[in-house]
Amino acid sequence: MGIISDVRYMFYVLFHPFDGFFEVRFRNKGNYALSAIIVLLYGIISIFDYQYRGFIINYSPPFYMNSIFIFTVAVFPILLFIISNWSITTLFNGNGKIKDIFIVIAYSLVPKLVFDFIRTLLSNVIILDEVFILNSIVNIGTIWFFFLLFCGLCVTHEYTVFTNIVTLIATFVAAVIIIFLVMLYFILMGKIVGFAAAVFSEVFQRGIGG
Amino acid sequence: MKLKYMTLVLLFTASIVFPCIQAEAAYTRETNYTYNFWGQDKRSIAAFELEDIIDGGSLGKVRMSSADDVFAAGERIFIVDSAESRVNVLDPEFNLITSIKLVRNKDNKIVVIGDNKQLMLNQPEGVFLSEKFNELYIADTGEERIIVLDGDKYYLKRIIEKPANMVGDTLFKPSKIVVDETGRILTVVQDGYEGILELDKNGSFSRYFGVNKPKVDIIDYFWRSFASDEQKKKMEKLFAPSFNNVDIDEEGFVYAVTYDDSAKDKVFRLNSKGENVLVEKGYFTVTGDMQYLENKDNEFIDIAVTDYGVYAVLDRNTGRIFIYNFDGFLINIFNKNGNLKGNLKEAGGIEWLDKKLIVTDRQLACMFVFQPTEFGRIVLEAEELYFKGKFNEAIKLFQKAIKLNSNYDLAYINIGKNHLLNDNYKEAMYYFKLGNSRSYYSQAYKYYRAIKLQENFGWLFAFIIITALLILYSEYRYNKKTA
Repeated sequence: MGIISDVRYMFYVLFHPFDGFFEVRFRNKGNYALSAIIVLLYGIISIFDYQYRGFIINYSPPFYMNSIFIFTVAVFPILLFIISNWSITTLFNGNGKIKDIFIVIAYSLVPKLVFDFIRTLLSNVIILDEVFILNSIVNIGTIWFFFLLFCGLCVTHEYTVFTNIVTLIATFVAAVIIIFLVMLYFILMGKIVGFAAAVFSEVFQRGIGG
Repeated sequence: MKLKYMTLVLLFTASIVFPCIQAEAAYTRETNYTYNFWGQDKRSIAAFELEDIIDGGSLGKVRMSSADDVFAAGERIFIVDSAESRVNVLDPEFNLITSIKLVRNKDNKIVVIGDNKQLMLNQPEGVFLSEKFNELYIADTGEERIIVLDGDKYYLKRIIEKPANMVGDTLFKPSKIVVDETGRILTVVQDGYEGILELDKNGSFSRYFGVNKPKVDIIDYFWRSFASDEQKKKMEKLFAPSFNNVDIDEEGFVYAVTYDDSAKDKVFRLNSKGENVLVEKGYFTVTGDMQYLENKDNEFIDIAVTDYGVYAVLDRNTGRIFIYNFDGFLINIFNKNGNLKGNLKEAGGIEWLDKKLIVTDRQLACMFVFQPTEFGRIVLEAEELYFKGKFNEAIKLFQKAIKLNSNYDLAYINIGKNHLLNDNYKEAMYYFKLGNSRSYYSQAYKYYRAIKLQENFGWLFAFIIITALLILYSEYRYNKKTA
């Protein structure tokens, strides 16, 4: 069974990031389907968290619940990071391909995903004095996530720590530029479509309608 | 039989043609709302409705050109008309008792001061009746003095001029005035940035009372930190915002409001040290409307406090009246600036007359009397009972209030609190959830959880034992493998 052994190997990666990501990168021990499932799961758990987080710490207005929006907000930064990191590291002599970066970020997400889910479940059985426990649980997951991501990128791109930090800063800048271009594209496309629609309706109403 | 159908049809048409034949809501306007936990404005049923309008016409010969401050105490209502320089005294049925302009002495002779001038009010802005000392204090703003009259016969007792020992830049231009149980006189000077002026019983200056902190503007602070001393001199000086009106409650706490837009707080409850001890346990702080919904800030011009902690603040910008309870929880918002009957043009003052509200309008020179509707009466009575510790009676009224207005969230919390006190944790949790009170929900849940844990202790214990055994077994197997 391929996927079961891949899941097992994923857990090995979580506890031995340097060895694990090396094997994933150079001996094809990663699984793209598994990575995709993890990213999807992360989005679904964000929706779950919005709705089912315990009342005591749930400040999300129930009437604004929009699962598609929440899912997008959770998954979009991941995709953005993959694209901007790949576009930077190709310039900075990074050896990772876009699919390698995808596996690294997906596998790194696992602790965050698990701890976030534990937080959502536990938040239903805590009182206000115990909220700090939940916060520390979430913090453990987040720190673990960042650590794995950092290690994974180092190994995948064959970077030193310093170059990795520089490329990460550059990744952030690239992400901002990508968002800017995307917005520009959508606004311009909107104008073009609007123009075409106006021309069409003008022709249709005056030319044919008389 | 036919007649019966005819009457039915007639009643039906009547109910369509005259839909507003109701017992109480005759003058209700659709301006009544409140804010829910999420900051949305939600329709609330009317808490107050217009009962009566008192203007020049109902005062007989006395002309009424303005209505500024209003004060009710000792079975009387005092209205200050600063345009006519009069203080009109009405009884609770709104009949004119007397109108004070020329001040007389004990022998009913006109008082003469200085070089043959009659002692006459000149643009007074504030009035206060001290029931303990039986003295009527009039802030005679135009002449920069306070006139103290007898509380019953209205003859002159004394005149308080600017105290000789007064310090600071504030002009002695008393505008609004209150006197506490010990006889100290607190008077507001408009634009006085040093605080409320406090005089002792004899009229000598004792101190400036209350601090009104300005908002901190981050950008301004940033530039100031770079500026040299010379540049700082050229910059606009930051003065503490002034207080604009005062009221005093039974316990001697001074309530004050400000409409200075640079002020951090807008409503104050000042203790004897002059610190703001206003309770703000509502969903939001006591600042009136949610600012992101309005393009205009509220400018509170007057405040009125009841014996049971409920206070009403009057906004001159929108003409709205905000009613808060002692905890700073918004009860209802009503009225507006407009042209309908009961709407305001230029808000003047506000005052409680038992459970009715009196609101004056400067431009219309009249006084609107608002009486509580069924909902308003229930809410105010419930607040009074709750404030006085009669919880069980209060809860019954709160339950009634919810039936009338399900947007009245405060009632849910109070009912929940009562359930919590009576150890009905599940019901308490239900009501706290409806009232969006997370801290109280947490308290109720704490006990509820403890009970559930006790009930299901067997299962929990079994679970722990089994987990421990499983861990032991896996360790054993692991060691056996590696050994």
